[in-house]
Amino acid sequence: MKFAYYPGCSARSTCAELNEATHLVAKRLGLDLVQLDSATCTGARELRAIDPAGFYALNVRILALAESYGLPLMTICNTCTLNVLDAHAAFVSDPELAKSVNARLAGENLHYSGRTKISHFLWVLYEEIGEQRLRQQVVNPLAGLSVAAFYGCHITRPPAHYGFVDSRNNRALERLAEILGCRPIEYSGRTECCGFHTAAHDERVAIRLTGKQVLAAKAGGATTMVTPCPLCHTVLDSFQPEMEKDIGQKLEMPVLHLPQLVGLALGLSPEQLKIDRHMVPAGVLDGYLATASNAPK
Amino acid sequence: MTAVPPGDAPAPALPSIDARRLGQAEQHDTLAARNSRLTPGDLLTLKVRRSEVTAGGDVFEEFRVPYQKWMRLLDALNWIAENAAPDLAFRWFCGSKMCGTCAVRMNGREVLACWEAVEPNMVVEPLRNLSVIRDLVVDRTDYEQKVASLEPWIERPKPYAEFPEPLTHKQMKNVSQALDCISCMCCYSACPVIGLGNLTDFAGPAPLVQLGQTALDPRNNPEKVRRSIELTGIFNCVSCYKCEEVCPAHIPIVSGVIEPLKAKAAELSPEMARHSLALRDIVARRGRVDPGELVLRVQGLRGLRNLRRIWRLFARGKINPLKTLLGIKTSAAEAAARVLDDGVGKP
Repeated sequence: MKFAYYPGCSARSTCAELNEATHLVAKRLGLDLVQLDSATCTGARELRAIDPAGFYALNVRILALAESYGLPLMTICNTCTLNVLDAHAAFVSDPELAKSVNARLAGENLHYSGRTKISHFLWVLYEEIGEQRLRQQVVNPLAGLSVAAFYGCHITRPPAHYGFVDSRNNRALERLAEILGCRPIEYSGRTECCGFHTAAHDERVAIRLTGKQVLAAKAGGATTMVTPCPLCHTVLDSFQPEMEKDIGQKLEMPVLHLPQLVGLALGLSPEQLKIDRHMVPAGVLDGYLATASNAPK
Repeated sequence: MTAVPPGDAPAPALPSIDARRLGQAEQHDTLAARNSRLTPGDLLTLKVRRSEVTAGGDVFEEFRVPYQKWMRLLDALNWIAENAAPDLAFRWFCGSKMCGTCAVRMNGREVLACWEAVEPNMVVEPLRNLSVIRDLVVDRTDYEQKVASLEPWIERPKPYAEFPEPLTHKQMKNVSQALDCISCMCCYSACPVIGLGNLTDFAGPAPLVQLGQTALDPRNNPEKVRRSIELTGIFNCVSCYKCEEVCPAHIPIVSGVIEPLKAKAAELSPEMARHSLALRDIVARRGRVDPGELVLRVQGLRGLRNLRRIWRLFARGKINPLKTLLGIKTSAAEAAARVLDDGVGKP
C-alpha cells in the first residue's frame, strides 16, 4: 500500500521524532510512504483566515503533488488534515476557485483535478491496514497500560463535515488502544482543545486549558496519554512544566505520538521511536515492554 | 477510504470501516437509535441541578418521568413542573427552535430542550459561563451588554449611489448564515476560552456572530467595523469548533464568521493580526513554519523571557536557533514564494 506522505511543519521541527516514528511504523505495517519534500505548510489556522486565496493555493498544491504520483495522501497532523480536507472541498465545489488555484500552480506544471483521497494515519490504520491485520502484527501487547486518548479538534470537528460524527462519540483511539493491548481510560478531556493555535501570542490559554485535561487524565488513572496530533503533543508535553506550576501540582504525564504507541506494540523500542526526545520522561513505560527485548528486532 | 484494488486476493467479507464514525453506533448517536431505546411508559431518570438557596450549595434532584412517544427534554421538564416540582425554574417560549430561550446542558452537552430527544438517563444543568439566576435559568445580561458594546448595526457615513444597492449572494453569504443565530447561548457555554473567565478579552462566539451580521456586510462603515472588532479579542479564538458542534442553527461559526472577521481585522487593524501576518510571512519565505522565528516575531523580546523552557527545547533538539538564523532555502520555500506572492485570482 503506497501513500504520498505529508508530514507537515511540526513533525519536521519541534516534533521530528513523530516523523521518524511514522516512517518506522509504516515500514513495519507494510505502508510505502513517498514523502512530499517540496510540500509547504498548509497555513495553520492563520493563513486560512487572513489570506484564503493563498491558503487554497498551498493546500491544493499539496493535493496536486499527491495526484501527480497517483497516490492517496496520508497526514499525521490534525490541523493539516482539516486544512487539506477544507481546501479539497472548496476546490471541488467552486469551479472559479479551482481555476484560479490551478493558475497559481501552472508555473511548476502542477494541476489538480480533485482526485486525491485524504486520510490521517489514524484512519489509515483502520481503513487500509484493518483491525485484524493490526492485531496480528502486535508482538508486544502493552498489557494493562492505561492510556488516555487525546483526540484534539481538527480530525473530529467541525461536525457533519467529512464524515465527522459528534466528536464526543469518537472511539477510534480507545478501540485502537485496546487492539494494542492497552486499557483506555475514560476522562473528561478526550476531545477537548489544547489551545495550541493561540499559544504563539498567549500561551496562558493553552497552559490553563490543557493543564485541566492532563490532570483529569491523571485522576482517571492514566499512565500515559496518546495523541494523533503533533500540535496537541507540543502543548501536552512541552508546556507540562508550566501547567504544573499553574495548577500547583506535579503531573509527570508522558505523552506519546500515536505512531509511537503503535510502534511499541509492534515491537519497536522507545529508543528507535525517539521517545526520549519528549520533555516528560517516559521511563514508566519500560515496565510494559518486558517482552519487547524478546521481540524480533 | 481507498477501495481494495481489483484482482487482489479474494477479500475476506470484512465490513469496510469508516474510522471517523467509530463509536457512533455504540453511543446510540442517531435520532432513530435514541428513540428505539425507549417505549411509552418507560421511566426516564432526570437529575436536575437545583439552586439550593438556603443551604448555600447546588444539589441534583432526581425525578422519574414516564416516557411518551417522541418525547423531548422540554416535555420531560414540563412533566416535572406539572407533577413533581412546581417550583422548578426553566425558560421556554416557542417550543420550536426559534426563540432560543430553552438551552440547557444535557449529559454534558449544550442542547435546546425543545429540540432534544430524551435519553433513559439524563443529567440536566444550566448553561456554563453565565451566572445562574435559579435552577436552569441563567442571567443573559453579560452577553447582552457585550453585544451592545459592539455596536452591531450598519452605519452609512455617505449617501449610497443607487437603489437597490448591488449586492451579490457571495458577498452576503456569511452575513446571511450569521443571521440564523437565535441567541440561545449554546456556543457561549461550550466555548473553552470563555470558560477561562477574564484570562483573555475574547468576546466569545455568540457576540461575534451578532457582530458578524453587520460587520461582514459590505455596506457597513469600515471605520466603525474596525472600532468594533478591536473590542473583541478575536485572535484568542483557539479554533476548536466546539461552538459549531452545539449550534442548533448550524451556523459555521468558525469558518463563516470568526475567520472572515479575522480577515477584516488583518485589513483594518493589522496590529491585532500580528501573529497571523507573521506566520504568513514566514511561510512565504521559508515554505514551512519555523517555531523559533514565529515566537520571536509575535512576542518580541518577551519570547526570550522563559530561558529555562528555551534551554529545555534546545536540549531535546526541538528548536534549532541556527536554522532560525540562517533560513536555508528549500524547495518548499521556493514553492511557497511562487504560490503565495504572484497574487493570481482572489477567490
